[in-house]
Amino acid sequence: MKLFVSTLLFLASLSSLHAQGPLRPNPDRRLPPAQGQPPTGIRKPIGTIVRPQGMDAPQPIINTSSLLKVNVTFQAHNMQIPWQKEGASGRRGLGVVLPDNRVLVTAQMVSDATYIELELPESGQKMPAKVQAVDYEANLAVLAPNSATKEMAFFSGLKGMEVDTSARIGDALSVWQTGRVGELIVTPMRISKVMTQSYVVDNAAFLVYEATGIIRTEANSFTLPVVKGGKLAALLLRYDSKNQVATLVPAPIIDHFLKDVADGKYDGFPSLGVEFQITLDEQFREYLDIKVDQPGVYISTVMKGGSADKAGVKKGDILIAINGSTIDSRGDYQDQQFGAVSVSHIVRGRSFVGDDVEMKVVREGKEIVLKSQLTRKQPDDYLVRPYLFDKGPKYVLSGGMLFQELTRPYLNSFGGEQQGGPILRLQRIASTPDEFEKDGRKKIIFLSAILPTPSTQGYERMSGQVVEEVNGKKITQLADVAAALKEPKDGLHIVKLREFPFVLHLDALKVEKDNLQLMNGMFRVSGLSRLE
Amino acid sequence: MNYRLLLPTLALLCGVPFLSRAAEEAPTASQAIDLTTGEWDSVVNIDCSVLMPDYREPWNAGQPSGGSGTGFLIGKNRFLTNAHVVSNATKLVIRTTNDPQPHPARIVFVAHDCDLAIIEAEDGAPFEKLKPLTFGGIPKLNTELIAVGYPIGGDRISVTRGIVSRIDFRPFSHTQVDSHLAIQVDAAINPGNSGGPVLQNGKVVGVAFQGFNGRVAQNVGYIIPVPVIQRFLKDVSDGHYDHYVDIAITDFAVENSAQKKALQLGDDGIGVMIADVEPAGSVGKILKRGDVLLSMDGNPVLNNGLIRFEGELMDMNEVVERKFAGDKLKLLYQRDGKKQEVEVVLSRFDPYVKLGSQYNQRPRYLVYAGLVFQPMDRDLVDAHQIRDPATNYLFDNYLTDKLYVERPEPVLLTTVLTDEVNTHITMYAQSVVDEINGMKIKSLKDVKEALSKKDVKESFVVIKLLEKGRPLVLKRDLAEAAHPRIMQTYNISEDAYLGTE
Repeated sequence: MKLFVSTLLFLASLSSLHAQGPLRPNPDRRLPPAQGQPPTGIRKPIGTIVRPQGMDAPQPIINTSSLLKVNVTFQAHNMQIPWQKEGASGRRGLGVVLPDNRVLVTAQMVSDATYIELELPESGQKMPAKVQAVDYEANLAVLAPNSATKEMAFFSGLKGMEVDTSARIGDALSVWQTGRVGELIVTPMRISKVMTQSYVVDNAAFLVYEATGIIRTEANSFTLPVVKGGKLAALLLRYDSKNQVATLVPAPIIDHFLKDVADGKYDGFPSLGVEFQITLDEQFREYLDIKVDQPGVYISTVMKGGSADKAGVKKGDILIAINGSTIDSRGDYQDQQFGAVSVSHIVRGRSFVGDDVEMKVVREGKEIVLKSQLTRKQPDDYLVRPYLFDKGPKYVLSGGMLFQELTRPYLNSFGGEQQGGPILRLQRIASTPDEFEKDGRKKIIFLSAILPTPSTQGYERMSGQVVEEVNGKKITQLADVAAALKEPKDGLHIVKLREFPFVLHLDALKVEKDNLQLMNGMFRVSGLSRLE
Repeated sequence: MNYRLLLPTLALLCGVPFLSRAAEEAPTASQAIDLTTGEWDSVVNIDCSVLMPDYREPWNAGQPSGGSGTGFLIGKNRFLTNAHVVSNATKLVIRTTNDPQPHPARIVFVAHDCDLAIIEAEDGAPFEKLKPLTFGGIPKLNTELIAVGYPIGGDRISVTRGIVSRIDFRPFSHTQVDSHLAIQVDAAINPGNSGGPVLQNGKVVGVAFQGFNGRVAQNVGYIIPVPVIQRFLKDVSDGHYDHYVDIAITDFAVENSAQKKALQLGDDGIGVMIADVEPAGSVGKILKRGDVLLSMDGNPVLNNGLIRFEGELMDMNEVVERKFAGDKLKLLYQRDGKKQEVEVVLSRFDPYVKLGSQYNQRPRYLVYAGLVFQPMDRDLVDAHQIRDPATNYLFDNYLTDKLYVERPEPVLLTTVLTDEVNTHITMYAQSVVDEINGMKIKSLKDVKEALSKKDVKESFVVIKLLEKGRPLVLKRDLAEAAHPRIMQTYNISEDAYLGTE
């Protein structure tokens, strides 16, 4: 039964790996629950070694002392009904054993985890674990055992794997998987391309290796290690089975992450905070007074408060070098190891938060050098949070009015298809935050739904309006709503909206009554707000 | 949109209208019809050849197509039919059930907003002896009626029978943006019935015009009722059609006790909140958001926006519906608890026309060095299947966010016809044009003017797009040299059509 369940799981999780483009934050939501599948017949698991008849010697089984099975139970928050959680579900993957009894997995593996355990592949021995550090942008996490008493014995036969950052285009690597009883299954891959792209969340691009080869489907499809000469060269990010192309989180990013974790304070990967445009268009170059053989890219956006902004970079500057590396018209620099790679890797992959950065720009025909220290834009620094894991979405529920903070996961919860009306409008706010930030807003607060109660009579069908004011107080973040609702005027709450119908009035006494009813009545709301 | 229009077509394109033929006087229930008397000859089949405008290659004449529908005689050589039966027509032919002769015809008046048209035979003589049909009123619920016309299923005149199922304000699918009074019937209304009379006791009580796709709903057909028809006839009686007028406000029902208190309303059920006012509409400078509308022409408006009109509860817009451009409307409204009365002059509200389908119009465009500029409207957005998020936002929120105030006629860079001169900017197709050479673009005509202006750097044409990271720049001399070459290569005979005005 267990085997059968594993087979199901691996098929389902693999299908999410096949998806082209960045994986959704919870690609495995549709996985069947790990427990309770009825057995429907005995099946040999794929990967079982069948001994050929007539051979006397037993089949040698190779094991590795650097891989663990990792089992995670997770439960995502419901973005649209923020006090609820979705059904719990499971993920199975592999973890790479690091020195000091730590285990490396992808962040996707542990997102929204409610229980994490490590399992020895051969003996099946298990022990609980916790997340020591996680970075959802870099899609990496370090796990630590959660039981000091069992730790020594559990890790005694294991050996930490080293990270090897030396892989180059053309190098042969191998993907490691474990079979049913812990036997090592090795399949070859070859790096064909090195480039930058986003991993599982869309707000930051990182270095990836693209490797070609066939990855067989096994029971533990998350976090497959990719190895060069016995050392860790990458982790599998996604696999396109149609083209047999694997996208890998490369060792330079893993190494950066582990070094950052090692000092006990995790800072994350720095960013420059600019968007740029390529300058291959000769007429555009001439317009910008860029000489024919001069490199550089056109800075089209400078994010407020970012590293480039602090250095004094302006929209319209031509960025020609960073830290001494020349930038070409496509925005690439020549990396000694990988050849032409996007300049973002100099900052994100090769530098740390707090490092000095030196940018050379051309402004009005003159070269100038600008300097600052690299910073990182934290997810909470965005007007519209780019991702949200492990925590529930913020909300205030009052009378039946559900106020929420606009986040990408909320928008994504409506699916990828273009939505008209309110969702399209909110999506546009998320993609053009400038004018709202100028307005003094820290977050976009909107009415996501109105629950039918006596105090919301007539308003039940409202949804998706941005909140401007509550009881005369300007709303710049969710805490403002909670505070303003404490001060009704003449027994009324007045909620001003950016869209039709522009204003809602509610009876403050009825709202209080309804709040009690919302908690104790049919809706069984567990709390009227989540502000942290 | 689940509605379909009821015209058949040659089906060169999908979605052509249907027409059928037949006409007659109204018999009472179950009375046999004798076609040999000729009295049904006043219900005619209208055969229509059309050119479907090509919004992707706007310099082309368009795709030939056709369809057939129904019309009926309402006066001397005057046939009433649906606008959608004769839209984009290049040739019209009338046939009657007993006369094998085709009679060439032409449009006299067309009103797309209420889907009605009047056509005439080029030679009216053959129809002189026919008796025009006469109009009744609004039929009562559950009373019988018959639909006469030339629907799909045969060539001869057809009659179907049913009852009045509902009388309501409904969207008219021809433009996709207009709503008027409509009568729902369960008589079979099929492609080809469009424009045909629906009769009760021998009098016309409506014109068959739309229904649901059979997969969506059964036995639901809609007819345009007499008040809408008579409004159209009255509007054109001065020789031209002036379009509906609109008060251009959005009401929000008062159901909540706190809302009632805040708006200082009594318990008499009177008064609806004005949630939004279009600044360019008839009352844009008079009413404000949060006002309460108490009555129209002395007729009390109820809390839910309904009004008692001719004995029936109807949407308050019905009062405005019956009026004409330049007519006055008396409004009683309340602001901050104070009642005020005002008389407003009603006018047409233009911005929303762009959000609907338009007909009998040649697509406007301007080509410059392979860059194709076109004004944004529904036909354009549909034809190009726009994916650019800024463009979609602009179209979707053109009214709701009052974007028409800043950009009365947004202009899109729809296509880049690739040439050496523009090959680096082909990926910017489908963007909204914000400025050209420093001039804000508010209409297609602005593009022409702006292109001839000199930017700070005179030797360049600089095009700023909405929400794109960089301006598009073309060297003026290169662009002007490339222009005739591109026109020839892509088979474009005229580099612009800016409209007739």
